[in-house]
Amino acid sequence: MHLVRALRATLVALALACGITAHATELTFRFNDPDVTQIRAALDVFEQQNPGIHVKLEQMGWGDAMSQFLREAAVGTGPDVLHVAFVWPKDMGAAGALLPLDKYMAASGGSGDYIAMDLATGRDGHVYAVPWTVDCWTMVYRTDLLQQAGITTFPKTWEELRAASLKIHQVTGKTGFGFPAGSAASNGIWFLVNYYWWNHGKPLVVNKPGGGFSAGLDQTDIAGAIRYFDDYFKQGDTPRSMLSVSNWGDPAIIEAMASGQQAIGIMPPANFKQIAAAWRARNPNGGDPPLTTAEVPTELATSVVNVGGRSLAINANTKDPDAAWKLVQFLESKPIFTDYYTSQLPARKSVLSTLKFPPGMQGYAQQLATARSWGPYADGPIPINTMWNATGRAFGSAFIGELSVDQASEQLLSVITKGLQ
Amino acid sequence: MTLPARRRTPRADRIFVALMLAPSLLILAAFYLYPILSNVWFSLTDLSLLKLRRGGSYIGLANYAEALGGADFWRVVWNTAFWLTAVSVVVRLLLGMALALLLHSQALLRLRLRTLMRLALLVPWATPPIVAVAVWRWLLNPQAGGVNRALLWLGVIDQPVAFLASTATVWPAIVLILLWNTLPVVTLTLLAALQSVPQELGEAAALDGAGGVRIFRHVTLPHIMPTIAILSMLMVFWTFNNFAYVWLATGAGPGRYTDVLATEVYLRGFVDFNLGSSAAIGVIMAITMGTFGLIYVRVLGRRVTS
Repeated sequence: MHLVRALRATLVALALACGITAHATELTFRFNDPDVTQIRAALDVFEQQNPGIHVKLEQMGWGDAMSQFLREAAVGTGPDVLHVAFVWPKDMGAAGALLPLDKYMAASGGSGDYIAMDLATGRDGHVYAVPWTVDCWTMVYRTDLLQQAGITTFPKTWEELRAASLKIHQVTGKTGFGFPAGSAASNGIWFLVNYYWWNHGKPLVVNKPGGGFSAGLDQTDIAGAIRYFDDYFKQGDTPRSMLSVSNWGDPAIIEAMASGQQAIGIMPPANFKQIAAAWRARNPNGGDPPLTTAEVPTELATSVVNVGGRSLAINANTKDPDAAWKLVQFLESKPIFTDYYTSQLPARKSVLSTLKFPPGMQGYAQQLATARSWGPYADGPIPINTMWNATGRAFGSAFIGELSVDQASEQLLSVITKGLQ
Repeated sequence: MTLPARRRTPRADRIFVALMLAPSLLILAAFYLYPILSNVWFSLTDLSLLKLRRGGSYIGLANYAEALGGADFWRVVWNTAFWLTAVSVVVRLLLGMALALLLHSQALLRLRLRTLMRLALLVPWATPPIVAVAVWRWLLNPQAGGVNRALLWLGVIDQPVAFLASTATVWPAIVLILLWNTLPVVTLTLLAALQSVPQELGEAAALDGAGGVRIFRHVTLPHIMPTIAILSMLMVFWTFNNFAYVWLATGAGPGRYTDVLATEVYLRGFVDFNLGSSAAIGVIMAITMGTFGLIYVRVLGRRVTS
């Protein structure tokens, strides 16, 4: 009799367990930034608010995230929700890897509240991602080192920047303008040279008047940019060791800025915050760090950089798109940016407008106001990765003398023009 | 009384052998032949990472023509064959032999250092390549790296050297990292070979008046030659196809100065998304290594026979 009761109880428990399991939703969120602890804390809150949904957090470096996901999506696997760069959704959407989000976006009030929605929209007109965080690069400098060198206002043009960097090095012996000049596939020089070209009115890729795309500059423009940046190494105000630094957040830059070995840098806000935090850790009673921001030099009326940022996308293979969308909505809510993911700025205009930029970061606010989208770069037929890699290789080859400036500029222009044809 | 054994016909024998071999052959076909043939097929298409679901279209030998006709291709082959493979294999063999002889010597035994040295030798080998490269990148760092600090302190240099960014030092630096991480396996293999040489042979040669160098050249070396030959071939295979050391140390830079065939496969496939072109380079690598292996084994076989 006892045995029968025990069997019944076991069966009931099993049935309940199966029922619970059948109704529980397991989502995987792949996140590529270092703030994993903070995001996990936010996801715990999401799980409390949505008892039927469990979220597994995966972390992956940005370098391999796109190719890894494309491989997974092609065979029907991969995370449900993923963290993607602003410029990826067009290619990923065309590859059939992302779920079109049009109906969800329409139901939640449309896309008008987001910055860079053009990059989240595929070539077929469908929305493939939701812009999540926004940033831009701007000049960051040590006020104490500029003061020591007798520079009272931050340079406005590229030639002024060149002269200021040299003067700082000559007067203080420190690095003037230190920039990542490495040639790795996802190098930092790609951004810097594009800003140089854009602020001379010459983008690398432009829309053709009659449709299609073409190179917006010629070999002389590319050679001019190579010579300009090469001069920093030749004159010694930027150390040659920067040729092995590809990442804008490399410790070689963060550490040099925090310790006062480097006067000027260029970077997104998250790295500015890292330098400020490192300075405060060294100077616990030192007040505010001698660090501030300024717009990128320009030869035009307004300084132009790109609107950078990250989006959230949903895998086309997800088994529960509604739950995945719920997670996306939770992640883009204001408390995420005020309480958890504080290193980033939100891409929702309504949330961004309520946040205050801390002291020293006003340059980001000014720069964001005039920042442009990658536009034809992302719309054109060459994957941005290819142009990015080719630019880093061409500049790197010229910097080390592997190729002459003319050969390197010709090689880069050839990649661009062939690809655009 | 014993039963007469049933004699199988040659045909039945062949069927029996085929049945016994079938599982292994099926596994080989599924895990080796199929991927190889797929890769060869991909190399004849314009398959892109962005069109994986759709597949690629047949374009004949265009990927091979583009790869072999490229101005940079032969420089990449030179980097792979000379710097990455030849230099690193020769240096590892020479240093590995020197270390193996040291570990085999009576001097270390007398100083009771033999076990300690053998254990110490295992540390770099037990270190994963990614950790080894990360540590060495830091050691070679111009600002805070231990190598630069030591050289400055010793007065060897008066300015920090960007080892991984200068054309004069980047290849030696990569070979150094490779050497540090993989030398133990060479040393231990050669040590095992040295230990298999009968001690009496050396003693007899010494009685005949041969010195240490002559004993090594005429007694030890011929005995361990087969090990050296096989080890060299394996090292060539491992190194020629290696991706991790170059990619993690320099990302094929500065510029494209340290680009090798394996990094080219990655760049074409996962940066340019051109999987067809990437597969073509992979097939070229496989053919090169296959040809090398075939010639090496035939030459080696002839020498062993003679």
